[in-house]
Amino acid sequence: MKNILTIILRLTVSCLIAGLIMGMTFVFTNKAKKANEHAREEKVVFSLLGYSKANPIPDSMGLHEIFRYVVSDGEAQSIGYLLPSEGHGEAEAFNFVRIDLDGKYLDSSSVAITEKKVKDQKDRDAAVQIALGAGKEIRFVDQTIVVTEGDGRLAYLLGGKFPGFKTHIAIMLALDPSYSILGLEVMEHEEDPGLGAEIEQEYFKNQFKLKPFEKIKSIEVVKAPLPNEYFDALEGRVDESAAFDIMKQYSDQDIYALTGATISSAAVSSGVRAMTKKFAYRLDILDRVLNEQQIAVPF
Amino acid sequence: MIGTKKLIFLAAALFALGFSSLAQAAGLVASTEFGAENEIIVSFSHGVDLGEAADPDRYTVFEEADPDIRLAITNIDVSSDGKQAVITFADPLNTTQTHIVNTSGIGGVAKASFSVSKSYIGYLFSILISALLINNFVFTKYLGLCVFFGTAKRKETAKGMGVVFTVVIVVACSMSWVLYNYVMKPFDLNYLQIVIFIGLTSLTVQAVDTVLRKVNPVLFKSFGVYLVLVIANCIIIAVPLLMASNEYNYFETFMLSLGAGGGFLLALYLMSSVSERLELAKIPPSFKGLPIAFIVAGQFAMAFLGFSGLQLF
Amino acid sequence: MANENSSFQLLANGILKENPIFKLALSMCPAVGISTTVINGLLLGTAVLFVQVFSSVTISALKNYIHPRIRIPTYTLTIATWVTVIDLSLAAFFPLAYAKMGIFVKIIVAFAIITMRLEMFACKEPISDSFWDGLGMGLGFLVGMVVIGFVRELLGSGAILGYDVLGFKPLLFFILPSAGFFVVGLMMAFFNWIEVAYAQRKKG
Repeated sequence: MKNILTIILRLTVSCLIAGLIMGMTFVFTNKAKKANEHAREEKVVFSLLGYSKANPIPDSMGLHEIFRYVVSDGEAQSIGYLLPSEGHGEAEAFNFVRIDLDGKYLDSSSVAITEKKVKDQKDRDAAVQIALGAGKEIRFVDQTIVVTEGDGRLAYLLGGKFPGFKTHIAIMLALDPSYSILGLEVMEHEEDPGLGAEIEQEYFKNQFKLKPFEKIKSIEVVKAPLPNEYFDALEGRVDESAAFDIMKQYSDQDIYALTGATISSAAVSSGVRAMTKKFAYRLDILDRVLNEQQIAVPF
Repeated sequence: MIGTKKLIFLAAALFALGFSSLAQAAGLVASTEFGAENEIIVSFSHGVDLGEAADPDRYTVFEEADPDIRLAITNIDVSSDGKQAVITFADPLNTTQTHIVNTSGIGGVAKASFSVSKSYIGYLFSILISALLINNFVFTKYLGLCVFFGTAKRKETAKGMGVVFTVVIVVACSMSWVLYNYVMKPFDLNYLQIVIFIGLTSLTVQAVDTVLRKVNPVLFKSFGVYLVLVIANCIIIAVPLLMASNEYNYFETFMLSLGAGGGFLLALYLMSSVSERLELAKIPPSFKGLPIAFIVAGQFAMAFLGFSGLQLF
Repeated sequence: MANENSSFQLLANGILKENPIFKLALSMCPAVGISTTVINGLLLGTAVLFVQVFSSVTISALKNYIHPRIRIPTYTLTIATWVTVIDLSLAAFFPLAYAKMGIFVKIIVAFAIITMRLEMFACKEPISDSFWDGLGMGLGFLVGMVVIGFVRELLGSGAILGYDVLGFKPLLFFILPSAGFFVVGLMMAFFNWIEVAYAQRKKG
């Protein structure tokens, strides 16, 4: 009997000590993990806009985040946008605008949350829930960053995830105000190295640059070899203005698929197509509603 | 004994699932399914007015996750008896998403709403096939190799190891699912995943060992020796981790663990069949034993690469 | 294994005579799956080194308090604790590298080599000896992973540590995961051949 008790005692003590060590490590590393995630997102954002450490973002540029939610009120659903509002104090810096599924304005409420806290999903969801009241259920869907230069809009940055050849591919897309593509960055994927993983290469990603919205709406993938001059332009082997001209030439062409990775290439282009179409549709509705209701936003 | 009970449970679960998908839109709609690339086929439970059913304005279709994006309908074909309508869309449908169809004023029903999705049972089986063939844990994910090479020398050891492993992994994974959903998620203890999962596996091994010893000593004599090796198998910790990161529900977890165990058994059986033949072959002395086993395994891995992208359901 | 083995001998033992990957043929899963580049090999090797050393030292320090009937669960608990620590740390401080290794860091807990080492060595020997043995085994694993990674990266993408060395890709096949089997098998055969040739030379 004593044997079993000793065993149990020692086992419990070891478990507790182990749990303590792991718990402490978790607390310590969690903060670093969150900081790293934000740093990485910022880095991608800057590079998509063409800036880097050597060429930092000018002060006149502003980054504003729009968070999209789906609000369920019993059977009825509506789309809610958490927007930064203009002209409020720091504590009430956000507005939650609800639009029904047909694009008609429903209501707007001010949300009590600071710019810093809004980046954390838990704090954000809690603040929105308080603003809406208990009866409604909210679900966060995605966020968009609107980049402004002075008074005008420069770009939209959106993230998206879609099925690839293996599992899924997550990308970040930069669009200009007329919804043509400024840049594309692959954030996550599990494609085969050397084959599908080549979607990370410049000569694939950069093919999407400068494609106008009309082309994106019906973009497909073509199984043909990439012309040499286009390849050089995409990889940055010619100087910028020449590269720009060449890419403009190809801006009404479909995407050249990667060798041995047609399905991965097609997955990315159909993902980009769907993301851009949906975003354009939604932003047009949002802009119209903001205009009609005279809701002031810093973009 | 255990096998039959599990089969009955599985059959009951499948029946319940099939039943529930039929009862979704009680009344107006008998069933729905995806047709060709950009079609949805709706079968009504009773003949409806042809004019109403063919009117695109009476339908609203959207993906469940994007309720504000209405899909554009180009054409609706209604069968002459009014029992089937084929809705054609402008763009190809993303069949991996559940779509919702809302009708108004069709077949005498003012408002009806029903969902269209790929068969759930099909989805479950696709998880099974994926773990078994496409993402075979030994040949595609390169896990469980130590034990694999150790027990893949004879067909009997292969079968024994495979069966024991499948039993342990299904039980351990089910327990892991319970603990994950009811203890780890609510209390935000995700960093304890590794400890808890490996602990549950040890417990399962111990339990199976004790139970087998008492219930069926003969079986224990032939299979018991493999139980200890199960813990050293990388797959045993990979499956619960995969379950946690994909947030599967119970049926999906069951299919995953069954597929993982089955895939391991399959890999072992294939490898052991080749091993037995290899013993009679002329192999250079430096290659004897592990090196040639690795090379054969490499060839199997290449063969299994052919299952990539397989989509049965 | 005599107690009087010097630390250097213990180290060399782990790297050469009882190398986990090539000699003992244990913990081969990452050797096949993740050794596509030298960096991956280095990172996972370091993680395993960390777990091995810390586990060996912990068990050696506590060897008098471990009840013999629960020694396997205790080993498992110790290893799992240290694996969690290194997993969380890598995820927080080296996120890009961690993402490449995927699930393999967490799987270290199931490696037979670590448990075996604890059972055979750490629970009987003093702390300092266990430290050197653990270090040797960990380094042996690290060296093995780096060597395999070197061969695969050089032949598969013509680069080392990301730097283009050859200027072209000799055989894409080598960085495909299934080639891991071939590379490890061939290297094992190579080591065997060297041993046989050396023994023969010694005899003759």
